[in-house]
Amino acid sequence: MSPNQMLIAMFILSCAARVRGCFRRWRQPLVRGPEWFFNVHVRPDFYDGPGRKLLHRYWVRMFIPIAVEVLLAAAIFISGHLLYLYWLIVAASIAVHVNHLFSVDLAERQARNFAVPEAEQPVSSVVLSLTPRRLRDYTNRRTEQIIILASTGTLIWLVRYYLRAPAEHSLRAIFGLPAFLLYSQLGFLFVKYGIVAWRTPIPQAQAEEHLHAREEARRFYLRACDWLRLLTAGELMFWPVLLTASQAMRTYVVTFFWVAVLAVSVVLTVWQELGRRAVLKASLRARPMKMPDFLHTGNSSRPLCYEPGTPMLLIRGARGYSLNLANKLTQLGAAYLAGLIALFALLRMSH
Amino acid sequence: MFLTIDTNDARSIYQQVADGIKELIARGELPEGSALPPVRQLANDLGVNLNTIATAYRELQKEGLLTVKHGSGSVVASRTATERSHDELLRPLRTALTELVLAGLKPSRIQEIVIQELRTVTKGSK
Repeated sequence: MSPNQMLIAMFILSCAARVRGCFRRWRQPLVRGPEWFFNVHVRPDFYDGPGRKLLHRYWVRMFIPIAVEVLLAAAIFISGHLLYLYWLIVAASIAVHVNHLFSVDLAERQARNFAVPEAEQPVSSVVLSLTPRRLRDYTNRRTEQIIILASTGTLIWLVRYYLRAPAEHSLRAIFGLPAFLLYSQLGFLFVKYGIVAWRTPIPQAQAEEHLHAREEARRFYLRACDWLRLLTAGELMFWPVLLTASQAMRTYVVTFFWVAVLAVSVVLTVWQELGRRAVLKASLRARPMKMPDFLHTGNSSRPLCYEPGTPMLLIRGARGYSLNLANKLTQLGAAYLAGLIALFALLRMSH
Repeated sequence: MFLTIDTNDARSIYQQVADGIKELIARGELPEGSALPPVRQLANDLGVNLNTIATAYRELQKEGLLTVKHGSGSVVASRTATERSHDELLRPLRTALTELVLAGLKPSRIQEIVIQELRTVTKGSK
């Protein structure tokens, strides 16, 4: 299998893996039944009037990233620069989710004008869980041990391999990909930290159901992160195998690796879809309720803000959310992106 | 373990948080040494300013109910460690009893209420 064929196979599989997600997002507004539009309890005649228009607009917005991806993929295939397919897959995966979050928020805000008036009253009693939520409470010790052993073992082996004949080896060729994979590990850990810290306001009515739904979702996304971390550790462990393979064997080794990665990705996609069903089931049991705004931030319409006293990452405003630059997660995220750019620059400069 | 915050309650949010934690400690649901969530977590979940929760924690710390351990956050302190005087402890009870008397309740009814409330507050405590 040539590198180009592998990239095409990866692109086709990534598209196939996203088909189910497209259908899920397509049906999402109606998943709670005809009286609901996402999490907004709407009037009975909603879908005969303005609801139909809002629903169609949401569907069109969901289609935008797919249309852009098709155009870009066509341009890549015509130009022959198939390496860009990899970056297209990464960009499309991010764009689909960002676009989805934005579109759901916009559609819900528009639908609130046609909501059942009583449902739009914020609940008067909210419940706070006094159970501390720390990253270590959601950490699987065995997974961490495997990742640490795989990473340190591979690194030690690579250092010894390089030191045996430093003049013959290029630093970038040996440590470039492992450095990127280790940095990705750090990124996944950062995402896990963000998921654990994600706020969980709970109304007093149906508190148990709401808490269960949020915990189910939290554990699902954390498990997905751990699987990706294990996959990254596996990729890192494969690197020494590839370095030591003879020229004749290299193509077979790479082909075997890609097939293995693709097979694992397919299995993980299926597992993810099954897990999503459990999350959806739990979330459908908890009736959506409007939470009170203790900070009275409803009038803010800026996309960015600096609120050191406010612990939230995203502050809800009149036109969607505002990213709080004073939040530790925002600052860590910015530092991580800066580090990634520095890593790429360093790898480019090194020989 | 839950803490309920009511927007219709006349007390401020920090007071509701402090009172709620006090009740849980009194009922034995938060035993000595149990860890409480960091200020940031509670403030984030409730959607309030960090100072609101920090003030509640400070009040509990001042009353000797919480201790802040470096690295492990806030934990419930020993209940015998209270340094408040007898008079200081009785003051809120006197205020509450005065309110009930002024509301026109008979002493026997007040006695009943006090016993009932004491049972509720200490429910589950050893």
